[in-house]
Order: sequence, then C-alpha cells, then structure tokens
Amino acid sequence: MNHISRGFLGLAGCLVVGACAFLPSRGAAQTSPKPDQWIHVRVESKDNSGETVRVNVPVEMAEKVLPAIHHENLRGGKVHIHNAHLDDVDLRTLLEAVRSSKDGEYVTVQGNGDNVRVAKSAGYLYIHVTEKKVCDKTAKQTEGKEVSAKNATAKESKVEVKIPMKVVDALFSAGEDELDVLAALRALSSSGDTELVSIKDDEDTVRVWIDSKNVSD
Amino acid sequence: MIFLAKAALGIGATLILTGAYVFHEGVIQVSVDENRAAGSHVHIWVPAMVVPVALHFVPNHNLKEAAAKAGPYLPVLREVSKELAKYPEADLVEVLDANQHVHIAVHRGRVYIDAVSDNDDIHVSFPVETLSDVADRLEEAAPGV
Repeated sequence: MNHISRGFLGLAGCLVVGACAFLPSRGAAQTSPKPDQWIHVRVESKDNSGETVRVNVPVEMAEKVLPAIHHENLRGGKVHIHNAHLDDVDLRTLLEAVRSSKDGEYVTVQGNGDNVRVAKSAGYLYIHVTEKKVCDKTAKQTEGKEVSAKNATAKESKVEVKIPMKVVDALFSAGEDELDVLAALRALSSSGDTELVSIKDDEDTVRVWIDSKNVSD
Repeated sequence: MIFLAKAALGIGATLILTGAYVFHEGVIQVSVDENRAAGSHVHIWVPAMVVPVALHFVPNHNLKEAAAKAGPYLPVLREVSKELAKYPEADLVEVLDANQHVHIAVHRGRVYIDAVSDNDDIHVSFPVETLSDVADRLEEAAPGV
C-alpha cells in the first residue's frame, strides 16, 4: 500500500468516526415538534414554605400509560366506584338529566356562607362553589362564646370547574359504577385549550388546564 | 517498528470507534453530593449500552426476583419509555419549596432527575431508551409475571 492510499484510508476513517459521533443519538431521533395537547397541574401553597408543584403530562402519553396501570380501583383506564349513589344522590341519573337538558343554570344556591352554581353553556358544564368561612384570628375561641367581629376574619375558598360536556359523557360512558377515565382523556385531547379546574383559598391555589405548550406558563 | 506502529494504529482506531459509538448511544450519569462534613461525593458515568449487556450477566434468579417485584409496573415502564421518546423536550414534574427542589424533565431525549435539598444534591440522567432496555430484560427473565 503506498503513501497516498494509506493517507486516503486514514482520512476516510476520520470522516467515518466524525460522522458517527455527530449522528443524532437514539433518544434524540424523534425531534419533530407535534402539536400535542398537554395537561398541566399547578399547586401553589401560600404558607411560609412557598411550596409549588408543577406537573405537565402529554394527554397522548396519559392515554397510553393509563391502561397499563392496574392498581386498586383503577383498571384498564376505568375507575370502579363501589357505590355510585353518593350520599343517596344518584350521580349518573343527575348528570344524564343535565346532559339531555338545554343550556341554562340548573342549580343556584346562595346562602350566607356558600354559593353554589351549576350550569351548562355552549357545550361546557360549569360548577362554581364559593365557600366563606369565619375564622377566629386568635384561635382561642372560648366554648359558648361567639367570635367577636374584631377577631373574626372571613376566609373565602373558590372552586371553579369547567368541563366539556363530551368529556362528561365519555367519563360516564362505561358501565354502572364505573368511570371511564381513558375515554374522558380521549375526549379531552380533542377539546382544545381550556381551563378545567381552578381552586383558590387562603392556603393553596390549584389550577388544572390543558393546552398545547409543553411547559407551565 | 512498523509492526508496532500498525498495532498502535489498530488499537487507537478501535478506541476511537468505540468512543464514538458510546457517545452515540449516550451515557448514564449519576451524581450524589452530601452537603455535610465528610459527606460522600459520588460521580458515575456509565455508557448506556452497558446496561442491557450487564443485565445479561446478572444471575437469572436475581433478575426473576426483581421482575416479580417490578412485575405490575413493567407495562407502565414500557409505555412511559415508548411515549417519552416522542417528547424529547418536556418539563414533567417540578416540586419547589424553601428547602428542596425536585425536577424531572426530558431534554434531547434524555431523562433528567434532579433533587437538590439542603442536605443532598442528586442528579441522575440517562437516555429514555434505557428504561425500555431494563423493562425488556426483566420481562425476558420472568415472562408473564
């Protein structure tokens, strides 16, 4: 082998090694962006620890992983509830009545402490609950004594739930005493960007929403 | 002399090729630092390709035991691995408070798990495929578990 062919061989070897090193790794093979829907959960604590929890999960991934989980009441993407009649309220019948009704406000309860509103509008089910609690600032309330206005503070907790009706339908599409979470996720993935749950009180703020971003805002 | 040069060239080329292949397949990084006096500091870099090979040398009864324990979670592990490969960039979980920070993310097809607290700094990263490699080997050891 003469010097030229040896040099050529060496050059070719270097090129092969270089090309091999710059090949995308196995993990980074699929880098094309996909307009997937993501479920985001954010919990922010207002206490001194300032704990914040952020969870971002692709809906498609949740759909695939959920059927693989078999733990207690969750099996095959369905949650088995032993008694759907919660406190003598037939939830399934109630939701069926809401589903088949026209848009409107179904329940409005306004009291001194709590406000509850259940409504259906433009394909969404809305549940808004506002709870007001009167708390003693000193936390040393003597039994039998009323909290004085000076020491009393009103704490308000707000729960707002907005669920597409097709997700509610999917959730209750399984048999009796079952919630089809998998079907609900599938319905959710086609619902577009939406805020699902918002809870605000003096201790925590909880938000659950769905959009196409892969990080929390 | 020429023979020695040729042998050195062969060994060198083999090392370079092996290095390039290892780089291509990715590495598993584990870093543990205890933030206290005489605390331990462990930093490990292992080629990810070693994991499936090394699992073949683990005694089968040990693998069966591990598979039996991990059995219910293997399908979940496999699905998570398969799905994570589709999301090379993702911030999955973040827990933050005054004393600790836990972050699980995928960046360029690698899973990063970081747990930083007042006492310890733990950083683990590995290619997503390592999860399925482990799940495959455990399932081979105890099929149908």
